[in-house]
Amino acid sequence: MGVLLEAKELSKSYASGPNDGQQVLKKVNLQIRKGEFIAVMGPSGSGKSTLLFNLSGMDRASSGSVTFGGEDICSFSEKRLSELRLTKMGFIFQHIHLLKNLSLLDNIVLSAYLAKRSSRKSINARALEYMRKSGIDELAGKSITQASGGQLQRVAICRALINQPEIVFGDEPTGALNSKSAGEIMDLLADINEAGTTILLVTHDVKVAAKTERILFMLDGSLVAERNLGKYRKGKGDVKAREEDLAGWLANLGL
Amino acid sequence: MLMRMLRKDWLRNKSISAALLVFISLSALLASSGANMIAELSSSLGALFAKSGVPHYVQMHAGEVDRAAIDRWAQGNELVRRHQAAEMIKVEDAHLVLGDGAAPGSGGIMDHYFVKQNRSFDLLLDLDSQPVQVKRGEIAVPVYYKQRDGLEIGDKIRIAAPGFAMELRIADFVRDAQMNPSIIHSKRFVVYDADFARLSGSGAGEREYLLEFQLTDPGKLGEFRTAYEASNLPKLGPAIDHTLFRTLNALTDGLLAAVILLVSFLIGTIALLCLRFTILAAIEEDYREIGVMKAIGISSKHIRKLYLAKYVLTAAVASVIGYAASLLLHPLFTRNIMLYIGKAPKGLVLQLVPVAAAAFTFAIVIAFCMLTLRRFDRISAVEALRSGAAGEGRPPGTKPALHRNRTLSVPVFLAVKDIVGRFKMYRMLLLVFIISSFIMLVPVNFFHTVQSPGFNNYMGIERSDLRIDLQHAGSAGDDYRSIVAQLENDNDVEKYAAVLVSSFKTVGDDGTLENMTVEVGDFAAFPLEYMQGSAPSRADEIALSYLNGKEMEKKVGDPVRLIVDGREITLKVSGIYQDVTNGGRTAKAALPVRLDTVLRYEIAVDLKPGADVADKRDRYAQAMHPAKVTDLAGYMAQTFGNTLEQLKLVTRVATVVALLVSALITALFVKMAVAKDAGQIAIMKSIGFSMLHVRIQYVTKALLVLVAGIAVGTVLSNTAGPSAAGVAMSFMGAARIKFAIDPLQAYVLYPALLLAAVTVTALVSLASIRKVKMSEMNAT
Repeated sequence: MGVLLEAKELSKSYASGPNDGQQVLKKVNLQIRKGEFIAVMGPSGSGKSTLLFNLSGMDRASSGSVTFGGEDICSFSEKRLSELRLTKMGFIFQHIHLLKNLSLLDNIVLSAYLAKRSSRKSINARALEYMRKSGIDELAGKSITQASGGQLQRVAICRALINQPEIVFGDEPTGALNSKSAGEIMDLLADINEAGTTILLVTHDVKVAAKTERILFMLDGSLVAERNLGKYRKGKGDVKAREEDLAGWLANLGL
Repeated sequence: MLMRMLRKDWLRNKSISAALLVFISLSALLASSGANMIAELSSSLGALFAKSGVPHYVQMHAGEVDRAAIDRWAQGNELVRRHQAAEMIKVEDAHLVLGDGAAPGSGGIMDHYFVKQNRSFDLLLDLDSQPVQVKRGEIAVPVYYKQRDGLEIGDKIRIAAPGFAMELRIADFVRDAQMNPSIIHSKRFVVYDADFARLSGSGAGEREYLLEFQLTDPGKLGEFRTAYEASNLPKLGPAIDHTLFRTLNALTDGLLAAVILLVSFLIGTIALLCLRFTILAAIEEDYREIGVMKAIGISSKHIRKLYLAKYVLTAAVASVIGYAASLLLHPLFTRNIMLYIGKAPKGLVLQLVPVAAAAFTFAIVIAFCMLTLRRFDRISAVEALRSGAAGEGRPPGTKPALHRNRTLSVPVFLAVKDIVGRFKMYRMLLLVFIISSFIMLVPVNFFHTVQSPGFNNYMGIERSDLRIDLQHAGSAGDDYRSIVAQLENDNDVEKYAAVLVSSFKTVGDDGTLENMTVEVGDFAAFPLEYMQGSAPSRADEIALSYLNGKEMEKKVGDPVRLIVDGREITLKVSGIYQDVTNGGRTAKAALPVRLDTVLRYEIAVDLKPGADVADKRDRYAQAMHPAKVTDLAGYMAQTFGNTLEQLKLVTRVATVVALLVSALITALFVKMAVAKDAGQIAIMKSIGFSMLHVRIQYVTKALLVLVAGIAVGTVLSNTAGPSAAGVAMSFMGAARIKFAIDPLQAYVLYPALLLAAVTVTALVSLASIRKVKMSEMNAT
């Protein structure tokens, strides 16, 4: 598999705000290949979310480079970065972040309408298909106040997928959900990855990370360790073994 | 502590506090200026009338008078305190050169009367409001010409009649309590007694008289008028009284003051809307804190006081700024009063008027605050602590649905949806835009109406290419016949119609006789738009001007009794028309005319297509001397000279105010919306919305509301606007104004100005969206 996303010597420090002067990312080097399913773990404040924001172009690195599909996105204008996020990337957040005044279906089709890569009719059909696969098709016309947290996160996943992105970023996508909903969401993400979409997510939950293939560990702004679970069966097979393997690895790291 | 709180609050809401300050200041400024103008106008007019000793009743008379008979009659009438027969020499326009570089005939439609200063009353004053004194070879010229032609002291006035020449140097300008306003087509020039005697004896002009009376009791004017009209004293000309002098002198500036006060009221309304919005936003923001304060036992009254303090301070500072600014702008607004009427020392009460106006603005704002802050009583401590936010009521609906939309782009759709979903929030913006459009369009439309050729409808004259006016004096009958002959033989003339203006006596219900100016002639060739009914088409019909109809309490179909050739006849009112000329009191009928009762001849002429109107006007002016030949536009420009100037000032001020208010409210609104929607904007950016998409969305919101505001404002200015103008103009004789709208200005140019102001402001105010970080999404 070819390299989709690569960070070289990626550093980030904030000039102002609560992290004033603090270096949150320290010369991070990372390669993500097409089709990978990666989890970034680490304690709070280790720089996981900052890494995700910088890799996705939502934030600009202080130094170093990020290349996506061979292009250095650090040199992109705001406009090109917007286009990149719109057409090639999908995002799932812990607090879901849907637009309040749109129905669930409208939240999903929104970015596809904006991208204008296919007709609105076919976008609607695709969105409904994603909703059906996610088990929320009956909620299409409902507002966000009429759905549960788990259902809303599924909507967010459908929104992330609607433009058929090359990579989906997830920032603690199950952080606000109960364990049952979290398990279902991870199964859904695993299916999506199985279909060929690269996924990079940030989590501190071992059970969540155990569903991915490659786990990166961050500490104080640096990637300090990596674990590959490729030897286990994908999907629902070997779940227990994966979780034990990961727990043992983390214990060895002293965590 | 209070000051610290206020400073913190000001810093937290800089833009909204600043906007509030500006709106209240503007409202106080305009209220103060309008009130000050009225105070100034009233005191200046009072001083001018007192200083000049304006007569209570004036009868103009073209021809000789028997002074002894007048003296006898006046001495025998106990109502008369003093009287005089002021002699005037009317110099034809063609014989008069006004200014060094001017040509003969530049005087225009005005009648130029040369007079000497009166001895005891009806004094003509200089620019220091002292009786004008001129030496031999000098002349004092009406201020009208100073303003119209830019004449200066030292310029020359020349009279060049056949066999007579006189050159006079302008030594001063004249404030004339009777004939100041441009709407009065007579102007008095003061010359030295010996120069007057030379002019009078030369035959270079017609002699006319002003028979002037000051009464012992001005309240008995009606009684005096009846007595005068019943007498055998001269009456070949209109009779005017001091109430009309006051109305006509005050009209232009009074209208301006009224418009300024109206604009102040509208801006005040905007300030109150803005205030309500601010208070509700503050309550929403501080909901939990208010709950805490209530929970620990602080009463609603005390909490209200804390909030009220901020608005009391803002309103007080704004009112003081407004008042101070009104003092700075006072010279601009009272420029016309100062020139025409002069400055008068103001008593303490009048000095306090503008202060009172600003204080009134302050009081209204505070009263409104107190009313709005009563909302605190409704906040429950438990509810506030539990929910922490007042919320927006019902969650926004999901309709209209994006997935059902096939045409609108996503940003435009989101803008529309937001307006539909949060209409309460946009309501204030809409109201402000409606008021702004109204403030801007009504003066523009009114200005265009007064300038338009169709304004003849309000002047009681028919629309025609040219208008020929001939005063009846001397050989006027022959001149009239000669003019008609020339028109008959001119192949360029499409049609013409002559009207003879005569004085008749009407018989009141109680048998009293009163003079009425009646235009007699053919009213079919050049039709006039009537308020009610139509032009007189039969010999037993008469049409009345609006003011005549109102004063005589006559409507269409009512009888009017008139003395014609010594016997009483009854005519039926065929129609009511609007007329702001001759004090608004005229009539039209098809009556037999005796030449000795004719005051003047008016001939309307239409030329054939392709004929050069300006060229024909100049040729006729030479050939038809001593008649005055004007085109309609020239006639109106000269009649409404300074009124138009004042209206232009109003239009400009209103436009600037409307643009400023719209820009301010847009800036305020966009900043608040971006702050409120920061989380939602961050979400949009995270899923691929570019800055442009967000900008388009917010500018579209402002523009959609603006377009709706302009549409409603335009409809209102086209419906309520003419009514408002009609109320103002009804004092002049035109109560039903129909706006002559210049579509390019009213529907394109001025809305485009508003659109541009709002678009630019919205784009500039949207700079803050750059600062919205996607990492701030948790703010939602």
